[in-house]
Amino acid sequence: MSPYRETADVAIPELAGLQRRFLLIGAAGAVVSLLGAFLNLTQFLQSYLMAYMLCLGVTLGSLALGMVHQLSGGAWGVVLRRPIGAATRVLPVMTLLFLPIALGMHRLYSWTNADLIAHDELLQHKHLYLNTPFFLVRAAIYFLVWNTITYFLNAWSLEQDRNPDPRIARRMQHLSAGGLLGYGLMITFASFDWLMSLEPHWFSTMYGVLIMGGQGLSAMAFLIATVVWLSRRPPLDRIVATSHFHDLGNLMLAFVMLWAYFSFSQYLIIWAGNLPLEIGWYLHRSHTSWRLVAVGLIVFHFAVPFVLLLSRAVKREPSLIVKVAAWILIVRVVDLFWLIAPEFHQTGISVSWLDVVLPLTLGSIWLGCFVWQLRGRPILPVHDPEFEETLGPIIERGAPPRPSHG
Amino acid sequence: MNNVADHVKDDARHDHRGAGAPGLDEDPLHAVVGTGKPPVIAPGHTFSTVTDKISAIVLTRKTSLGWYAGFGFSFLLTLMLFASVSYLFVKGIGIWGNNVPVGWAFEITNFVWWIGIGHAGTLISAILLLLKQTWRTSINRFAEAMTLFAVACAGLFPAIHTGRPWLDYWLLPYPNTMGVWPQFRSPIMWDVFAVSTYATVSALFWYIGLIPDLATLRDRSQSKTGSVLYGMLAMGWRGSAHHWHRYETAYLLLAGIATPLVVSVHTVVSLDFSIAILPGWHATIFPPYFVAGAIYSGFAMVLTLAIPIRAVYGLEDFITMRHLQNMAKVMLVTGLIVVYGYMIEAFMAWYSADKFEVFVPYNRMTGPYAPFYWLLLFCNAVVPQTLWFKRIRNSTIALFIIAIIVNIGMWLERFIIVVTSLHRDFMPSAWGRYAPTFWDWSTYVGTIGLFVALLFLFVRFLPMISIFEMRTILPEAKVDEDLRVI
Repeated sequence: MSPYRETADVAIPELAGLQRRFLLIGAAGAVVSLLGAFLNLTQFLQSYLMAYMLCLGVTLGSLALGMVHQLSGGAWGVVLRRPIGAATRVLPVMTLLFLPIALGMHRLYSWTNADLIAHDELLQHKHLYLNTPFFLVRAAIYFLVWNTITYFLNAWSLEQDRNPDPRIARRMQHLSAGGLLGYGLMITFASFDWLMSLEPHWFSTMYGVLIMGGQGLSAMAFLIATVVWLSRRPPLDRIVATSHFHDLGNLMLAFVMLWAYFSFSQYLIIWAGNLPLEIGWYLHRSHTSWRLVAVGLIVFHFAVPFVLLLSRAVKREPSLIVKVAAWILIVRVVDLFWLIAPEFHQTGISVSWLDVVLPLTLGSIWLGCFVWQLRGRPILPVHDPEFEETLGPIIERGAPPRPSHG
Repeated sequence: MNNVADHVKDDARHDHRGAGAPGLDEDPLHAVVGTGKPPVIAPGHTFSTVTDKISAIVLTRKTSLGWYAGFGFSFLLTLMLFASVSYLFVKGIGIWGNNVPVGWAFEITNFVWWIGIGHAGTLISAILLLLKQTWRTSINRFAEAMTLFAVACAGLFPAIHTGRPWLDYWLLPYPNTMGVWPQFRSPIMWDVFAVSTYATVSALFWYIGLIPDLATLRDRSQSKTGSVLYGMLAMGWRGSAHHWHRYETAYLLLAGIATPLVVSVHTVVSLDFSIAILPGWHATIFPPYFVAGAIYSGFAMVLTLAIPIRAVYGLEDFITMRHLQNMAKVMLVTGLIVVYGYMIEAFMAWYSADKFEVFVPYNRMTGPYAPFYWLLLFCNAVVPQTLWFKRIRNSTIALFIIAIIVNIGMWLERFIIVVTSLHRDFMPSAWGRYAPTFWDWSTYVGTIGLFVALLFLFVRFLPMISIFEMRTILPEAKVDEDLRVI
């Protein structure tokens, strides 16, 4: 056990500086964004919602991937467990950061407008669900469920570090099974509430699944970038092997395909049906200058990463796969932008400087918290039930040298 | 090379006796000792016992009376299918219960049910192979056979439901003197491509996987006819390094081709409904929800078949509790996705605020077909929740009963989707009812007969478990890391 322990406990000296830098950028960004809020509060909230959904996506996507790994096992997840844990522990901060959306909901969601409801039969029917108090109660329930799962998984993971009792692993598995159900149900309704109801007449049964797929993809891309960064420094430079990147690359490829599958299915069915209640959503997004973004998403969110990730060479070369991962995080923002912004600018593309500043600001704050959490615990879960089997031999022998990129 | 192999073999045998010996953590026998999971192959087997045990079922075991009885009965049902279809061709589809407004009923329900069942075979053989799940090895062969027979039963329904099956080639796009082309925007057209591709790839995949085992049967067959027939089917397989190299490449390529089919086929089937604007059919969640449903029903069918087969032929060593438990878990997960689909569909129907949409779940829950709807929820949503408990997953009888209930539930699901959406659509004056006739039932039951009869033949004449792949998961087949250097 002891060589593992020593390896796991190695501190990574760069992290402290990184945390400070991210938090400083975040603080500076927050000042600039607040200025933006005074200039144009509505625009601020729209951009904020987009940035928030991106950061929440990485957080919850990591939570979901962590729970999937608890149930499925696999070497890919053992090296990810600590970054996943750190990402999920940002959730309390994300909970606080929901406040601007809750406070500003009357500017974001047209169904809160009583005058509009008075003249709209459909909205009167939906009022039972789409009303301010119930919206807030639901949000509270979502965060309660997510935070509870996160809290216990992380607490038990810490306990597992001290105590190799296999019962702890089993307890985590049981929670993960129920936790995945909880995550799935909550994020489905959260996506209806926070995103779909921006256009209160529109509905799509696929929407929750689509958002879940996007969160999984964002988290996967972020985690791959993190592992590449960590693998360049001790102690993980001797441990993370080429095959790990290969597996992670394949998982990211699977998520790219899932996203495309969900998006295309939804589009095809609504396009073919061409029903007045449904098609409007796509008309704003594809028959105005927003079409440019839509086509861009097909090419850059699907085709380009898909082709790149098919290549074995790309998946096995950390310096290449990290570029694909970073690219995916950028197109994830564009995808969220395309889901949200056309609702407020139905005639054509409109980009505000806040659409750039807010993702950077929230992203930096999120990263600062993530690095802070990552520093708090050993970088490897030495008592993971699969640890000895998957990483033990590598630690004892050292990772096989990675083929240099040729 | 040979020396090393022998050395390893001895070494492995040696370790093998002392279960849980260190240094063999990766092999399936030992990996399980610590985790308390049952093994994927019972301890004590060697290359020759595996080969003997599986090939004996085909070559030397006396064909039992039970086999004759089972095959005979299912063959009678197959004859009933032939009779029903013949009568259908003579009289036309008026002999079925279909009529306005329910123009699609049993035939499409059965088609979707059968094609869904096939999906488990493809998932097990292709996706689990690519995911390096060694436990798939002992169930993939007969799961693939199941796929093939299920697709055959499924393909029958669209072919006969046109009423003029001698004109079925009109479904294919070809330049003709009438200048008529199929409607390429119609998912029914896509179905033709999806299902025919699926049938082709499944057949190829299954056959190519069989070749090394057919050669084994050729070499071991006691009778002249047997060795000639198996020899022809084995296509000159000699087991040379060259052959194996080609074989591995072909098999992996086919697995790659079959993988998207697991998703695409049922996606296209779901589009048959969701592309239409009928409330109850037109829902964007349909593609992933149908795919999950297909895998769900497919695993239920694999369990339904595997549990009696392993008991009758004494294959508990190869199809272990581990396989049954894993399949139960897959059923639980896909079943929950299906339940998610039901829930979101019902919620969104209400949320849409469209009165026809709102009416659909209301009509399903309280209308003339309500008992079937509640039964469907009981079968698909309630009963499988018992699979959360380890004790249930450990009981073959419980698993068998649950699997059968899920088979029924998944059939009911398709029936509810098809019939309740059609029978009361927009105008109450155009509402109607559907009830199956004798011929609806005889055709459906007949396809079950055909399916079971084909399975009986398969079990009797072909190795139902892949012999050579089973050998690869034995400890003997594992090469020790340190010796590989040589």
